[in-house]
Amino acid sequence: MQKRWLSMASVLTAIALVAAACGGGGTSGTTSTPGASGSGAAATTAAATTGEIIIASDLPTSGADASSGLPTQNGVAFALSQTTSYKGIKFTFKPFDDTVNGVHDPQKGAQNVQQMLSDPKVVAMVGPFNSNVARAEIPIANGGQLAMMSPSNTNECLTQTFPYCDPQPAALRPTGKNNYFRIAAPDTVQGPAMADYILNTLKLTKVAVFSDNETFGKGVADNFVKRLQAKGGTLTNRSDFDWKTTNDFKPFINAAKAAGAQAIYAGATSATKACIVRSQMSGILDVPFTGPDGIGDDQCLKDSGSNTANMFFTNAAGDAAQNPDAASTVAAFKQAYPKASDLGAYTFPAYDCAFILIDAVKRAIDAAGGKVPTRQQVIDAVQSTSGLKGTVGTYAFDANGDPKSATMAFWASKGTPAAWVFQSQFSVQ
Amino acid sequence: MVSSVANARTRLLAGSRGRLLNGTLFALIAIALIILATKVATLGPAYFIQIVVYGLANGSIFALIALGYTMVYGIVELINFAHGDVFTLGGFISLWLLPIFGITEGGNVTGAGLILPLLAILILSMVVCAVVNVTIERVAYRPLRHAPRLTPLITAVGMSFVLEGIMFLWRGPFNLHYPNVLPATSIELGGANGPAIGFKDVAVIVIAVVLMVALTLFVERTKLGKAMRATAQDKDAAELMGIDINRTIAATFFIGALLAGAGGMIFGLYYNTITFDQGFTAGLVAFTAAVFGGIGNIQGAALGGLVIGMIQSLSDGYFDTAWTQVLIFAILVLVLVFRPTGILGMRVPEK
Repeated sequence: MQKRWLSMASVLTAIALVAAACGGGGTSGTTSTPGASGSGAAATTAAATTGEIIIASDLPTSGADASSGLPTQNGVAFALSQTTSYKGIKFTFKPFDDTVNGVHDPQKGAQNVQQMLSDPKVVAMVGPFNSNVARAEIPIANGGQLAMMSPSNTNECLTQTFPYCDPQPAALRPTGKNNYFRIAAPDTVQGPAMADYILNTLKLTKVAVFSDNETFGKGVADNFVKRLQAKGGTLTNRSDFDWKTTNDFKPFINAAKAAGAQAIYAGATSATKACIVRSQMSGILDVPFTGPDGIGDDQCLKDSGSNTANMFFTNAAGDAAQNPDAASTVAAFKQAYPKASDLGAYTFPAYDCAFILIDAVKRAIDAAGGKVPTRQQVIDAVQSTSGLKGTVGTYAFDANGDPKSATMAFWASKGTPAAWVFQSQFSVQ
Repeated sequence: MVSSVANARTRLLAGSRGRLLNGTLFALIAIALIILATKVATLGPAYFIQIVVYGLANGSIFALIALGYTMVYGIVELINFAHGDVFTLGGFISLWLLPIFGITEGGNVTGAGLILPLLAILILSMVVCAVVNVTIERVAYRPLRHAPRLTPLITAVGMSFVLEGIMFLWRGPFNLHYPNVLPATSIELGGANGPAIGFKDVAVIVIAVVLMVALTLFVERTKLGKAMRATAQDKDAAELMGIDINRTIAATFFIGALLAGAGGMIFGLYYNTITFDQGFTAGLVAFTAAVFGGIGNIQGAALGGLVIGMIQSLSDGYFDTAWTQVLIFAILVLVLVFRPTGILGMRVPEK
């Protein structure tokens, strides 16, 4: 018996040693990165003679997130297919995928940015899609002075300082200079917008709220609740689920029913089981189901099963179809990407992101005297963007990297089989 | 083994740190019970009955999985880590079979036209899972029967990942939507605001109870069941008495997986969502249920499953889902400290 324990102990020790060795390897990998990015910066001047720049993207393009990530990537790819070179300098698109086991993964995103930094041709990136991925990526991109432009990050703590933010935006930017921009309205707008919509348009006052406990979901739910209560609405009950292990949402739904909830607000995305809740509501509670942009995709309609009526979401960007000036671009996109699933709520916002970066890179090339610009020159050019008209908005950025004006749109599920239909939009200053 | 655990317990209780830990756990559970009582009083009996019904349905599913763990452990003293994934496989196979049998969400088949194909799918999924589990036993466990105990444990972990990988490759990493085909009708007790016992809840509980009763009868009344009990008690003596050990063990894996496969399909029908890696958490909770009731003990596994399902629902319904795992495992630690053999006691002989 004692021998067996000894051999077991030795096996455990061996495992521990191997694990320690792996851990050590991991650490040395990360510490070597500043060196890699340093050599990358040195090589930027060498790249000037080859005359090529890369605009990368980092989006969740496989697994559960693909239904929102792929249409977004299409927008970037389409913008770069329209501009292939400027003053003899070639523009190339290089997409990265930040999913691991089918779900967007902050660490994978951070690795992707490391990889971009090691390639001196990469001067800017579109993305990421998810706020928690952004939180991991911004400090790394900041160290390498890489301009980031997100179509869909809405967490307010990425750019603005509030007492409840952890980490604070300044902590995400170790160099003290900003490199991160976005065109989406932050959650301080998105959550309250749905609260107003429920109170004023749907004329309901008692709402039950749940979240997936992630950076985005919990944040948008908090902002929703604050506005709801400030405007005289009632929060009936709230749950923050560990979405990875929770499958039974019925107790929450019943608590909502018992408290007389007239609507449900989901601070979650379809990848974090938001719309499974909708499916489980059937037969128990028949009230409108509302949420942020994270539920605005086909996956959500599929997950809701036969319970798709009466669902609403806010989109933190406008609808290109509402802009007559964008009609020719929309038509050209549909010709290049004919499938219905190619076009998502964030396709044209992502197109605009790439459009802003291309515009900025062009001005940076001019500023560099017709040569490949440095990454910092690209950041400076993005910061000085003003009055640039895209397909879903007109762009300029404040010192935090937030858009000076943004659009918030409301969509609802309609028809059989159900599809998301644009309802209305308003502009946020 | 049991006596060494008991010694460890005495030592733990003698130590002041052990006493402190137990005191804290007791306090935690006492506070939880007091809060629960006040909340039950304020939210009324209708809500309480509703939560209890969900707890029974939850618990039935855990119990079905736990039975497979407990039977396999009882007979070969192996924690079959792949069991949770066999359970998931039941969901995946039945999801694949549903459209083949012409059952879709929102379809207009009802009555016998719905029940008969569903039963056929249930039986087919159960059999496929059983065959897979027997194959796993033949390939990964039987050759290692006389190897050190750690070895088959590792191959079990390996088989778990292989199964997960296959399901990942087959259907991808999505939360798959499982059609909501059972009728949404429910019996409303005491008007529209009273508790509603749904057809789904009843179906889940009935199927689970029928399967568990059938299993108990099988183990206690049939020849093969007797052979299983004999093998669990003393493998060598059973072999000397002319029992085919390999066949008996294979039968145990077969029956355990039948129940897990049924659990997988019921899980899908009940929650309307399945994921390729759900077996990991579900398996862990079910294994806990088996230990809770007394590993190797069939009634114990069923009871353990029900208790854990009930704790989960009460915690989800009256506290917050974040507290659920804490409460389940705090209660588990307490039960095991005072009854290391589980509520109903182990059916494994001392060695």
